[in-house]
Amino acid sequence: MAATAAVAIHQFAECITCHAWSPDLSMIAFCPNNNEVHIYKFFTDKWEKLHVLSKHDQIVSGIDWSKSSNKIVTVSHDRNSYVWTQERADWVPTLVILKLNRAALCVQWSPKENKFAVGSGAKSVCICYYEQENNWWISKVIRKRHESSVTSLAWHPNNIYLATTSTDGKCRVFSTFIKGVDTRGSQSSTSTDSKFGEQIAQLDLSSTWAFGVRWSPSGKTLAFAGHNSMIYFIDEVESAPAAQNLALRDLPLRDVLFVSERTVIGVGFDCNPMIFVADETGLWSFVRFLDERKATPSTSKASQLSEALGKLYGQSKQGTSSDAVEPSKPRGGAHENCITCIVPLRKGSDGTTRRFSTSGLDGKIVVWDLENDVSFAK
Amino acid sequence: MGPTCQAVLSPSPRRPAPLQPPESRPPLPSPRRPPPLPPINRAPSASTCSFDLRRTTDPEVLAAMANTLRLYLTCIRNTLEAAMCLQNFPCQEVERHNKPEVELKTSPELLLNPVLICRNEAEKCLIETSINSIRISMKVKQADELENILAKKFLRFLSMRAEAFQVLRRKPVQGYDISFLITNYHCEDMHKHKLIDFIVQFMEDIDKEISELKLSVNTRGRLVATEFLKQFI
Repeated sequence: MAATAAVAIHQFAECITCHAWSPDLSMIAFCPNNNEVHIYKFFTDKWEKLHVLSKHDQIVSGIDWSKSSNKIVTVSHDRNSYVWTQERADWVPTLVILKLNRAALCVQWSPKENKFAVGSGAKSVCICYYEQENNWWISKVIRKRHESSVTSLAWHPNNIYLATTSTDGKCRVFSTFIKGVDTRGSQSSTSTDSKFGEQIAQLDLSSTWAFGVRWSPSGKTLAFAGHNSMIYFIDEVESAPAAQNLALRDLPLRDVLFVSERTVIGVGFDCNPMIFVADETGLWSFVRFLDERKATPSTSKASQLSEALGKLYGQSKQGTSSDAVEPSKPRGGAHENCITCIVPLRKGSDGTTRRFSTSGLDGKIVVWDLENDVSFAK
Repeated sequence: MGPTCQAVLSPSPRRPAPLQPPESRPPLPSPRRPPPLPPINRAPSASTCSFDLRRTTDPEVLAAMANTLRLYLTCIRNTLEAAMCLQNFPCQEVERHNKPEVELKTSPELLLNPVLICRNEAEKCLIETSINSIRISMKVKQADELENILAKKFLRFLSMRAEAFQVLRRKPVQGYDISFLITNYHCEDMHKHKLIDFIVQFMEDIDKEISELKLSVNTRGRLVATEFLKQFI
């Protein structure tokens, strides 16, 4: 391989729970595993801290930065959500009453950015929208559908459907049509007629917790990860769901990202992004790790040899020392701890994502470029 | 793993193998067996006994024993690697709380199946996993009463200093000698592989530590007895 896929590695904090980029990609907002959100801006050669948004009083679990309206929404374990708008140099918070009595876990703007969804530990999902006449964010809750905490959510490109994953192992798709906010069937005809909160589909695939749900760019395919080291791909979710389960050899995934209709990047406890590709027939398979691991010189061979020598020469002491199990070696990749968040950065000419960033519990934000990757750019 | 361990463990130095002809001994799993001893040693029962005792210091047997410990520890290490996939997860039952789910056990869907790894009846390790925490409990080998007392006192000494170890639980789980509780916060602060190394190293060292303590107690006992009995001479 000529060049590595990781183009930039920034150590911002000890530990990062989530991050989001500004629309022009010059600024980054992240939570350094506490109640604050830090905003950094890139000045010619280095990143500098511009703002600290500290309004929450518990750990911030989700950040999303809207692309067109330049608003940041943050949610936290303290059950609250704030929408931050930039007024001259400062970021001004607006409290959103979520009507939740448990922690909020994840947040995402809808594609049109007139709504956002919050998943929570109260086994419910809030859909929030702005009401012009009252100058206030309204929250509508989808209750009594989830049997456990909502870990991740994803908006369908049609701005109506919302997919959620939960720790009860199920992936569900809801309609979030709100009168006055959404307009009925202009581009999408019959499928979006359903009422608010109506469950379109329930995918009972994983036997354990489900994480990291995403729609493909066209909204045809849905992907999510299970904690049993499985990744699931579902086609035609609305009409006749057809699922493909793919079991991994490695540790479970936490989040996934469609970089194109046929390519998925999965990140998780293996500290190394995985590439999944679908062939012409639509069959998904694991291709390889994105970050090629550097082969560290192994000490295990020497110890095995010395142990064998010990046996050969009848040294009983060598025998007792051989019961020491070799200590595990640190990974030689860009990330050193679990990757929790993956965000797309730049779209290519054909609508596919070529750059994305990942953040993890090691406090690093790594920017990856698929074009740098010789074997990938076919 | 069970039956082979038992079979290999039977000719241990602490528990001498019963008097039996070497032909009936369970075969060692190691492919590199020493060449058979000259036939002189084989004939009468008395020499069989000496042969047996000599066999226990054989590096081959010691290595085989060490290998069973290695198997046990490797099994624990691999289980921990897979089980230690933790994340921050707020409590579903109580507002604004964040507690290790493996301790609370309020939501059954947040717990995974516990794994029990046994080397033999006296030595086992229970690994209980939940979404944000993992609990590792172990039972340490106690061959006799002295080892029992030593293990109890030594592990109590460690448990009372649990803060210094961070991942040590103040009280062991019922039926076990010592327990560790690792939460997602430990995984954020420390490297996962180092944490696993620590647990495995601890298990490796605890047996050694206790047999050393036992030796020193015995030595001291002998010394004290000698000193005490001197006055009657």
